[in-house]
Amino acid sequence: MLKSVKMLAVVLAATMLFGAAMAGEKYKMAYIARAQGDSFAAWLANAIREEVENKYPDMEVTVFDGQSNNETIASHIENAVVNKFDAILLQPFDTEANRYPMEQAVEAGLTAACVNVQIDDPRFGNVDATPYDQAAVNTKGALTQIPQNANVVVLLGPAGNPHALARREAWQKEFFDKRPDVKIIGEQIANWNKDEAMRYMEDWIQASGGKIDAIISMNDNMCAGAIEAAKDAKLGNLLAYGVDGTAEACLLIQEGAMTSTSLQSAYDLAEASVKLVHDMLQGGEPKVIMIDCPLITKDNVEQFIEMHKRAGAL
Amino acid sequence: MTSGDKFFRFMNRYSIYVILAVLMVACSLASPNFLTVQNLTNVSRQISITTIIAMAETILIIAGMIDLAAGAVLALAGVLSVATYVATGSLVLALGVGALVGVLCNSLSGLVVVKFRTPPFIATLAMQTAARGAALSYTGGQNIYRIGNYTIFGQGYIGPIPTPVLFMLAVVVLTWYILRHTRFGRHLYAVGGNEDAARASGVSIGNTKFIAYAVSGVFVGLAGVLYMSRNNAGLPNAGAGLEFDAMTAAIIGGTSFSGGVGTAMGTLAGGFIMGFLNNGMNLLGVHAYTQQIVRGAIIVLAVIWDVYSKGRRVSAGKPVEAKTGSDA
Repeated sequence: MLKSVKMLAVVLAATMLFGAAMAGEKYKMAYIARAQGDSFAAWLANAIREEVENKYPDMEVTVFDGQSNNETIASHIENAVVNKFDAILLQPFDTEANRYPMEQAVEAGLTAACVNVQIDDPRFGNVDATPYDQAAVNTKGALTQIPQNANVVVLLGPAGNPHALARREAWQKEFFDKRPDVKIIGEQIANWNKDEAMRYMEDWIQASGGKIDAIISMNDNMCAGAIEAAKDAKLGNLLAYGVDGTAEACLLIQEGAMTSTSLQSAYDLAEASVKLVHDMLQGGEPKVIMIDCPLITKDNVEQFIEMHKRAGAL
Repeated sequence: MTSGDKFFRFMNRYSIYVILAVLMVACSLASPNFLTVQNLTNVSRQISITTIIAMAETILIIAGMIDLAAGAVLALAGVLSVATYVATGSLVLALGVGALVGVLCNSLSGLVVVKFRTPPFIATLAMQTAARGAALSYTGGQNIYRIGNYTIFGQGYIGPIPTPVLFMLAVVVLTWYILRHTRFGRHLYAVGGNEDAARASGVSIGNTKFIAYAVSGVFVGLAGVLYMSRNNAGLPNAGAGLEFDAMTAAIIGGTSFSGGVGTAMGTLAGGFIMGFLNNGMNLLGVHAYTQQIVRGAIIVLAVIWDVYSKGRRVSAGKPVEAKTGSDA
């Protein structure tokens, strides 16, 4: 009996020592992506992984897929607490649904921060781009580019999505309220998706007899889908505005099929959010950091195409 | 036979086409742009990919099975096909890879269903997760751009007809021929209508189910090629939920979830009903939320009609199988 107890004690001690050695001095961060199937979320997840690996030797990151499901995200947060991660960096899917599990994580002693979408709580760090500004930078040019009495179509993001709502609000206040002559002949939710936007655009082209002057889209993916439909219908002189600065949008701007977009840089989000989490782990205070959203037009698109080439997206 | 019975028999056989005609008249009255050659071409192109998947689902549902992985396999087949084209520049090879990936994935599902007696729901649910994961893993979650002439499959025309519509018509004719004129087609109805009776009649249940999955895989792979080509990109997140749109078209077209009943032409009509409904609501500017409610109502009504008409046939002493494939 005594022998067994001694053996058990030796095994336990060895396990603890092994665990401590494995843990080393590295901070363990769980990054929970909104959905790895979403191309922007995948870009951001890759950028965060590269940022940690290239710049923070005292840190390691494990990426989890939230699968566009608040319940899955809550489970990942709970698992991170149980598995003794030091920090959680979350790309929220729904700010209110994700708030409670993040609060629980903070109360359990973890460092918590959000990236790409903010959860308003002074205990969390937040890194985001202002969705209102992302759309507003496009509207400045659109005010003069879109002709008098123009017909425009509007493509919206998922219902209730804070970025989708804020971008639409920016177009309303910064453009439509100032240009009452412009007529919206079609406005639908295409859920950020290229194929849904293409179908809507095809129908709007039929309904209007091709009399569409501009596409106003809340992201680049939907804008690209509508442009595909316009190409097929051979609509000329079409203006098109998006948000995100994706590789595809940059190529469309380069070839003259798209007018402008604003960059939501996954690299900038990754750089700022990983640094914020690292600082907080070393005793820094939670902060709210907003990244820039530069406008991309034909004049400066080459530098962003180079950026996407370096990232392997082109 | 009373006039009521005659009317019921007529409606039972042709109701889907009556509904399609009524819908077309209603849409053309509501929107002057509806009944134009351009718009009908537009709708045909919009429904082509879903209808090809619907043909795959029809074959499986008739045999008493289902495929929940169609959207994910479409994505995997599509991105691998795009990658093949980008690497080799060969359209034929790219098309072949798309079809082959579809066949391999669905054959694997069929194998799991037949050999391990796994319910098709579970087997294809597992394939859905695995295929989506493979597509995302292969692309790193990123879209593939600059696909050049690959767009010819989805954006091209032969004469005035868009190429996806021609692919769809070819798949519809092939499905019609399989169901109507081949022994394999008759076996599908037999297996789905009454598996025990089919076995007793000497039908190889396992072979029939396996081949059904393999054939449906060709259609799904082809749909993957068309989807990516139409969207001018390799999209690893493509087709999420597309299998449900396809099943909806099949059910509206008269395919019974109990198995043993369904036709290619009915599914084509179901696809057009869904297409005209979506197109008509878009032309009229109906809000996206309302569109979802209308689509839900249509599905429920189609299933209620299916259950009601089956009850009438049984109560009239006519076995359900008696009608199978008769107007395929």
